[in-house]
Amino acid sequence: MKFPKIGAAALLALALVLVIVAAGCTQQSGTAGSPGTAAPVKDIRIGYQPSTHQMAEITAMNKGWYAQDLAQYGVTNVTDTVFPTGAPEMQAMLANQIDVAYVGAAPVLSAISTGLDAKIVAGVNTQGSDLVIRNGLTYSGPQSLKGLTIATFPAGTIQDTVLRNWLSKNNLTPGTDVTIKGMSSAGDAATALTAGKVDAVFLPTPNPSVIVNQGAGKIVVHSGEMYPNHTCCVLVVSGKLIREHPEIVKQIIQTNNKAVAWNEANLNEAAAIYANKTGAKLTDVQASLQEWDGNWASDPNIIVQPVLDYAAFQYQNGYIKKNLTEADLFDLTLYQK
Amino acid sequence: MVTENGKNNYRWLGLCALLLVLIVWEIAAVIIVANPFILPSPPDVFLAFIGLIEKGRLLLDFEVSMEHFIIGIGAALVVGIPIGIAMGWSRKFDAFLDPVVELLRPIPPLAWIPFAIIWFGLTASSAGFVIFIGAVFPIVINTYSGFRSVPKIYVEAGRMLGCTKNLSLIRHVAFPAALPSIASGIRIATGVGWMCLVAAELFGVSNNGLGMALWFYYDLHQMDSVVVYMLLLGFIGLVIDMGFRHYMNRHFLRWQVKEVA
Repeated sequence: MKFPKIGAAALLALALVLVIVAAGCTQQSGTAGSPGTAAPVKDIRIGYQPSTHQMAEITAMNKGWYAQDLAQYGVTNVTDTVFPTGAPEMQAMLANQIDVAYVGAAPVLSAISTGLDAKIVAGVNTQGSDLVIRNGLTYSGPQSLKGLTIATFPAGTIQDTVLRNWLSKNNLTPGTDVTIKGMSSAGDAATALTAGKVDAVFLPTPNPSVIVNQGAGKIVVHSGEMYPNHTCCVLVVSGKLIREHPEIVKQIIQTNNKAVAWNEANLNEAAAIYANKTGAKLTDVQASLQEWDGNWASDPNIIVQPVLDYAAFQYQNGYIKKNLTEADLFDLTLYQK
Repeated sequence: MVTENGKNNYRWLGLCALLLVLIVWEIAAVIIVANPFILPSPPDVFLAFIGLIEKGRLLLDFEVSMEHFIIGIGAALVVGIPIGIAMGWSRKFDAFLDPVVELLRPIPPLAWIPFAIIWFGLTASSAGFVIFIGAVFPIVINTYSGFRSVPKIYVEAGRMLGCTKNLSLIRHVAFPAALPSIASGIRIATGVGWMCLVAAELFGVSNNGLGMALWFYYDLHQMDSVVVYMLLLGFIGLVIDMGFRHYMNRHFLRWQVKEVA
């Protein structure tokens, strides 16, 4: 009879799979310790996106400020990873691959609603995205967008949320009156506009200026006109790091503030650092910084309501399964001017 | 287990394997990992499946994806088989096209996305083009190999029996002889093309589609729904392959079926 051999093989396979799965399993964050008793942190891993919204991160890393400032807390290695949009960045944080994220507020909501152990501890910037329409089209207000196709970032991103919200407020139904194409990267969206395959794009800076400088379109609406002082990027830190090493988190916020202040005082040099790191053209970055309506604002107290508005919008649109509260999203205790 | 025709039926082993995978998956998800983001359990995925059915989007996703797939595979067949025949039959054609084919073949379908957008826009044809890129080369290569492997004696016999023109030799001798190889190429191509579907729906070609929905739920970190679409892609891919094999064996390769096993 063959069954016992098969049964033994099946049990062996089961045991093997369990061992492999257990060995590969990552420990969930936020399960251990308290300040003072927690194991020291040697590595800090930061995620960011190639946007002028997050220039503070790029400046601070380039000048070695994160490494210098965090060394006093035992941190010996600070690394950063670039992500094309917020969704994969939050995915990396959910998978415990980064500790700190410069990221749009909208992807944070869907991540926290699905169990991400992290909090927004500071703002990064407000506003700073633009609606760009292709040459040959005339913009005379939101109603003139009726029947057009607009490319932006995918569902759950800040741009998708702000754009849909604005269209709805102007009595345009996304998907019916205006077609929205969720693109995987700014490059795809810009390519589609340049090739005349979409009518407009809604992207964060510096992408609009790059498109304008290439002669492929014109900026017609700043996101600040769509939603005044809307939150864009925020600083998110893992719950484990907040609970176990609040002093490190406070320092991260301080270092970010230092970089913001330096950027504002040395705009051209900051633009050069950004261009060097991201590969963007310096002229595009400089034009973008002149043109944008954004503001590097780190105080989280001023972004609470806009973020809660996003949460309500995402909940209504079925992007998240539960409505999130301020306590779910923010830790306002660590921010100091 | 022995069937009526006296042959062993081992299908129950496959069912055992599926059951074992489900048990291991459940144990790993609930007891070991205990985090539905890292590994959703089978009940999580089943509930997500029910939720997607209730939303009424699964059928629409399926229809849109099939449209993309048919465009891509259809184009790959129309382009790939004649090119493979030409290269396999004519040394001159082979020498002419081989460098181009070998240069283009290793370029991943994802790398063509910028030109898919530029040439076809954000349309079904654009998604079909990415699938076409993935599917066309296995068809070309296998058709070529099939024609190269036609025994010379068949061709000579064909000539003796009155097939004197190339077209009639190809039609009546070489093509039937190469058909098993061509069929293998199409099988590989449908598999590769189906896998390319997820990449083809990555860049906003439509608001529906199995690949698009997979990315949509990935962006929202709803991993249970992501697994639903992964399993659907696997299942539909399996059905397509089984249907194709059944059709080919029944209508074109009856002479070959059961020759070995």
